[in-house]
Amino acid sequence: MSRITEAAPAGSAPAVEIRGLVKEFAVGLRGLKLRAVDQLSLTIAPGQIYGLLGPNGSGKSTTIKLLLGLLPPTAGECRIFGVPSQQVTARRHVGYLPESPDFYRHLSGRELVRYYARLCGLRAPALEARIETVIASVGLSAAADRRVGTYSKGMLQRIGLAQALVHDPRLLILDEPTAGVDPVGTAAITELLLGLKAQGKTVLITSHLLAQIEDICDRVAILDRGRLLLEGSVAELVGQRERQSLLVDALLPAELAELRAWLAAKGRSLHAVETPRERLDRIFLDRLGEQKSPRV
Amino acid sequence: MPDFNASCLRIFFIAQNTAREAARQKLFSFVLILAFALVLGARWFRDFNFGAPELKFLADCGFGAMAFFGSALTIVATAQLFFSEIESRTALTLLAKPVYRGEFILGKFLGVLAVIGVFCGVLTLLLVAVLWRREGELMAEFPEAFRSGRSVDLGTVVIAGGLQWLKLAVLAAFTLLVASFAQTQLFAIITGFLVLVICHLQYLAQDAYARSGTWLGRMGGAALAAVFPNFQLFALADSLAPADGPAWGDVMRVVLYAGGYVVVGCALAVFSFRQREI
Repeated sequence: MSRITEAAPAGSAPAVEIRGLVKEFAVGLRGLKLRAVDQLSLTIAPGQIYGLLGPNGSGKSTTIKLLLGLLPPTAGECRIFGVPSQQVTARRHVGYLPESPDFYRHLSGRELVRYYARLCGLRAPALEARIETVIASVGLSAAADRRVGTYSKGMLQRIGLAQALVHDPRLLILDEPTAGVDPVGTAAITELLLGLKAQGKTVLITSHLLAQIEDICDRVAILDRGRLLLEGSVAELVGQRERQSLLVDALLPAELAELRAWLAAKGRSLHAVETPRERLDRIFLDRLGEQKSPRV
Repeated sequence: MPDFNASCLRIFFIAQNTAREAARQKLFSFVLILAFALVLGARWFRDFNFGAPELKFLADCGFGAMAFFGSALTIVATAQLFFSEIESRTALTLLAKPVYRGEFILGKFLGVLAVIGVFCGVLTLLLVAVLWRREGELMAEFPEAFRSGRSVDLGTVVIAGGLQWLKLAVLAAFTLLVASFAQTQLFAIITGFLVLVICHLQYLAQDAYARSGTWLGRMGGAALAAVFPNFQLFALADSLAPADGPAWGDVMRVVLYAGGYVVVGCALAVFSFRQREI
C-alpha cells in the first residue's frame, strides 16, 4: 500500500490524488467482507474532465464517497488539492452532485440553492446575485420559485448542479449527472461542463453513457469490481494510430475498385467502406429547433 | 478546528431548515390542532374532574395535552427529520459541503427544539388565556370564593410550560441518539417511546431496588437513575396557587439536570453519527 505522506501546497497539488484505496463492507451477521474498492490509485490534474466508468457495482459511487470523506477507507488515502479528504476543509472547493438526487421537497429551487450557498459560507451582498447566476446557468430561472417536490427528474438533476456550483468550486464531482435527463437537458449539461473546463475547473464525472464521456472527457478510468482495469487519455484509448478514415463524396463501384487497386499498389488495404451516419441525439436536437435553453 | 462563528452559523442554517421542514409538514399542524382542541374543549369535560377543582382540572388537561401530544411530536419529528435526510440522501449532499457531522446533529436537534418550543409556547399561552378567562367567569359567578383575589398563578403555568419543553428537549436528545445509530426510522420511534416510558417510571424502579436492600439492587437503581432521566422531576409546578409555586432554586436545579442530559445525549449522538457510514 502506498501512502501520500506530505501535504503538497494547494496551488501545485493534483485536483484529486488517490493512492492504494481499499474499501471493505461487512456483510451479514457473520461480518463477511465485501471489497467494493480494491487498491485503486488515480491522479487527476487540475483543469481536466475525468470520466470514471464501469458497470453497476464496480465501485464508482463508493470511490466518490471515499473521496468526499463520507466513508472512511479501509486502507489507502485520498487527497483533494493536497488536503486529505477525511478533513472537512478538503471539501471547501468541491461541488458534488449525487446519483439520482432527491432534495428538500419543502423548499423552492431558489431556497434550496440559498441554503447550500449559506452552508458554503456565501453571505450577502454577493449571495443573491450568485444564486440567480447559477440557477440561470442550469436553465431553471422560470421554475426557481416552485417547490422542489414538484420538479421532474431532469429538473432535480439541474437544481442539483446549481447547488454543486453555487460556491464556485474548483473541483466538481458528478455522479451520473445525466441519468434520467432528456437529450436536450443532456446537451445543456454537456455544454455547461465544457464551459466549466474552459474556466479551468476540474470535473470528475461518472456515467453509463459512454458516448457522452468520450465526447467531453480528457481522461477516463474504467473500474470493474473495485479494480482499475484501464486508465488513460480518451485519445490514447479510442484512437487507432495505424489507421485513418477519409470522408469523400460517394464513389461509383468502378471508382471504388480503382481506389482499391491503387491502394494495393501502394501496399495498403481498404478495410471498410461505410456510409457516414448522423448521431441520433444530434438529429433530435436539430429537429427541436436547437433550443438555446433547456426545457423546464 | 472549525471557525466558531462559521460553525454556529452552519448549525443555525441546518436548524432553520429542519424547523421549516417540520412546520411545512402536516404532522406538526395536525398535532397542534389536536392539542389545541383538547385545551379549548377541557371546559366541556369538567364532569370528569375526579373531584379536582375546575381550574386545576383545566390546567391538568392542558399540561396533559402538552405532555402527550408533545412527546409523540418530539419522538416522531426527531426520527422523521433525521431519517428523511438519510433516506433521501440529502445528508450526502449536505455532508459533501464543508459541514462537520457534529454541526449536522446539533442543527437537527436545535431545529426539533424550536418546533417543540413553538408547540409548548403556543399551548402554554392558550392555557394561560383559558385559565384567566374561566377564572374571571368564576369570580363573577362566585365572588365570595375569590375574596382574596385570583387563585391561579399564571407565572407558575408559564414555568410549568417551560419545564415541559425542557423535558421534551431531553426526550429529543435521546431520540436523536438512538436515530444516530438506528438503521430504520421505525426502530428509532419505538425505542424513543420506550425511553419515554422508562423515564416516566424509573422512580418506581429506583424505589423497588432501594427497598431490596442488597448492594446489587442499590447499584442497579443508581445505574438506572444515571442513565435515564427522571421525568417526574419536571412536574415541579403542579400546584397553581401563588403560595405553592415552585422555588426558583428547584427550577434551576431541574434546568441544570435537563441541560446535563441534553449535553450528554447530543454528545453521544455526535460520537455515534461520526462512526456511521452513510
